[in-house]
Amino acid sequence: MGAILKQYSYTPEKIIRGYSGKSLYINVSDLRIEEKELTDFMKEKFIGGKGFDLWYLWNAVTPETRWNSPENEIVMSVGPLGGITQYSGTGKTLIASISPLTGIPIDSNAGGYFGPLLKFSGWDAFELQGKSDKDIIIFIDGNNGLIQIEEGEEYPEDTHLLAEELTSRFAVDENDMVNVSVVCSGSAAKHGYMGMLNFSFYDPRRKLCRFKQAARGGLGTILRDKKVKALVVKYKGITPNLNNAADISTINKVGVKYHKEMHDLDSKQNKMRQIGTANTVMIMSQYDLLPTRNFQTGGDPETIKISPQVFINEWLTQGLHDGCWYGCTMSCAKCADHFLLTSGPYAGERVTVDGPEYECVAGLGANLGIFDPQAILEENFYCDTYGIDLISFATCTAFIMECYQRGQITQEQMGGLDLRFGNKDAVLELLHQMSRGEGFGKLAGLGTRKLKKIFVEEFGADPALLEDIGMEVKGLEYSEYAHKESLAQQGGFAMATKGPQHDEAWLIFMDMVNKQIPTFEDKANALYYFPMFRTWFGLVGLCKLPWNDIVPSDNHKTSEPAKVPEHVQNYVDIFNAVTGQNIDNDELILQSERVYQFQRVFSVRMGKGERKDDYAPYRSLGPVSREEYLSRQELYDKQLRDLQGLEPESMNLDEKIAKLRAYREDQYEQLMDAVYRRRGWTMNGIPTPERLKEIGMDLPMLLEVIEPKL
Amino acid sequence: MIKVNTEDYPWQPGMTVRSLLDERLFTFRHIIVRVNGEYVPEEHFDKSAIHDEDDVIVLHLMAGG
Amino acid sequence: MKVLTHKQELCTGCLDCEVACSQAYFKTNDPNYSAIRIIENNRTYRARKCTQCGECINMCTANAIYRDRNGVVRIDKKKCVGCLGCVGFCSELVMFYADDLDVPFKCIACNICTKACPTGALEVLVSQVKEF
Repeated sequence: MGAILKQYSYTPEKIIRGYSGKSLYINVSDLRIEEKELTDFMKEKFIGGKGFDLWYLWNAVTPETRWNSPENEIVMSVGPLGGITQYSGTGKTLIASISPLTGIPIDSNAGGYFGPLLKFSGWDAFELQGKSDKDIIIFIDGNNGLIQIEEGEEYPEDTHLLAEELTSRFAVDENDMVNVSVVCSGSAAKHGYMGMLNFSFYDPRRKLCRFKQAARGGLGTILRDKKVKALVVKYKGITPNLNNAADISTINKVGVKYHKEMHDLDSKQNKMRQIGTANTVMIMSQYDLLPTRNFQTGGDPETIKISPQVFINEWLTQGLHDGCWYGCTMSCAKCADHFLLTSGPYAGERVTVDGPEYECVAGLGANLGIFDPQAILEENFYCDTYGIDLISFATCTAFIMECYQRGQITQEQMGGLDLRFGNKDAVLELLHQMSRGEGFGKLAGLGTRKLKKIFVEEFGADPALLEDIGMEVKGLEYSEYAHKESLAQQGGFAMATKGPQHDEAWLIFMDMVNKQIPTFEDKANALYYFPMFRTWFGLVGLCKLPWNDIVPSDNHKTSEPAKVPEHVQNYVDIFNAVTGQNIDNDELILQSERVYQFQRVFSVRMGKGERKDDYAPYRSLGPVSREEYLSRQELYDKQLRDLQGLEPESMNLDEKIAKLRAYREDQYEQLMDAVYRRRGWTMNGIPTPERLKEIGMDLPMLLEVIEPKL
Repeated sequence: MIKVNTEDYPWQPGMTVRSLLDERLFTFRHIIVRVNGEYVPEEHFDKSAIHDEDDVIVLHLMAGG
Repeated sequence: MKVLTHKQELCTGCLDCEVACSQAYFKTNDPNYSAIRIIENNRTYRARKCTQCGECINMCTANAIYRDRNGVVRIDKKKCVGCLGCVGFCSELVMFYADDLDVPFKCIACNICTKACPTGALEVLVSQVKEF
């Protein structure tokens, strides 16, 4: 235990209608600790969660702020619904900061107990600013009203060790372990830009810490740059109505109804309780949508080796509660117990691997050409404990592999690593190098955008090819969905404010399979509604999975089954029941849109919120290479014929590729126009004053940013 | 010729909902099938005949990430 | 293992069991606070009460449900957070809750209702299985 550097006593506020009314500010440069009042303005315009995070972040930074400037903040917040125990998925914390990968705000969400315990400790939000000169641990004791900052040099770096030590340290006995939650990163976060944050929760059945991740954007890199080793919160005494809801009866009723739905229907639907989000892997491959070998194709016959059934039968413990907050009967945070590690510093040890989630199987598996469940689980474990965003790692490594495959970089330039598709040993070694900050791992951790530059300038790679196959927008790597044939999803990714994360819109099936959004206007409407709707989860502290990863048995009878109207109504009812307000579906969208537009203007302010920043690498839009064209030749030839009036029989392959590309790039431009119109933006992607006024966000600070750009 | 999700698709005599799903490789379990606007429950897939000129919707309720 | 059993042929539907249970644990006559519910169907009476099947034990989101040394399934009030997952998951619909209670409740084979029953329709049986 290190020396105590600062202690601060406070009176924890009671939560009323979902809010404590206070937020915590800690500056680790001078160990200043302050309490801030929540204002009515904040609650009205920003609701909570991501809204509060972005508001505080805006006020902390200037357009010159970089990710490692002392004034950059990591801000975290749950939201008014966070911490209720009766409904599934009510423990999400939202975190925002200026990202090392993009230079603009990133927002990320994580399950785990930290956010709710933070709120019950009296804090609607927590701002972390400044930079310490030595590693510190910040401890928040919500029962005793104490904040303590202590030296943290002697604690281990890697999460699975660090969190266990800290949880044991601050719990008084075994039963108390569930009352402690840790936020930390890992050894790799000191070296690259894709460091993520782990959020712990203690599993009393397995008697060990489990982890969820706020993965995207490099938040762990920022935490370690600030020399904060961990945040710890402790709160004992969770009861059913700590939020002091206006109407506990409705919350209980809706909760029981949803739990029964999970009990009756999950095993017939997505089997979330058995496999979690990886349930979609086989389906994605069967529909040609599983990103394979750097998004070159949509699947592989070997996918059967990493199918959900393989993980259920051979790797994942079944039948125990695996929710990442109380009350989550979706219980999708599956894990592989007693997993034997075969590489790296922990080789020979048996560990619990939190996963695999879909992104892990798709990214660390198919997209790297690895169809070996043991390898996928080991990659998953090391990404987690080293504090690496496995999505960015997977997509970036896939890019490296393709560069190598196409002779753009050599094995020698990679320090001897034979990073060809399928080489799991090389991938694991790369992870270990990232942890040690050595060798090629030091470069790989910088991310795809930086690597493109390095490969061109230092290794003589072809810049045009690298631009086409390096799957990033605004500096953030794509998440793991093959979407070459879905114009709507191309827009959903590249026009997303933070970068190509799928949490704004997931429209692939709606677009490509169901053909529900054929026109530009249809797509634009979907690219308006779904980002707005999904933003709402992040304002109030909810996980999106319980919304549509299970549906009521009569959902098919509704007019818009993709929206799962009964579940949307559940959310409206619960929001009103907690807060005492009286919103409806339209107000829900309006709440979201305020924060959505705020985030877009914030990105403009930080330099990446305009049309030029919303373009996709061509690999996202269509076939870059001859092999890709040939893999879907019938489809592509038909499109040349039907949509462009050309005669593919009389064209050579390169001509066909070029013509298709010109067509698709033009389609994307037209989509941008339609989406910008629908979102109330100029043709340059800037939110208009009229739109901001319509939604009550014509704040001087926003108008100041957009006016010069109009 | 029938329509499947608004696009033309060739019809054969003897086509059922089941045979169409198999042909199209629509293996996803969580689907909603409507033929000429009428919902067809899963238990009837094998028996439900599809006739020439029918308008078939196969909605995949894929939650995604 | 102890479990409450009910003989339909002896039950007259007098509801004394419901009254005894809700009175004992919640000081009220309200059947919504009884862990045994008598269901009438055409002048025959079934009793809904916990069978001690234990399905709720592994799914409890707070690890608060356990079997005591009599094999009776119990909720540890110190651990329960009132998520009502067990209420929704109970296949027999015999885990009950009320809005003013922090913790759900269920039959714990305590014999209060068996003593209140005028016809002997209720009996707590002890089965041979003892490994808990």
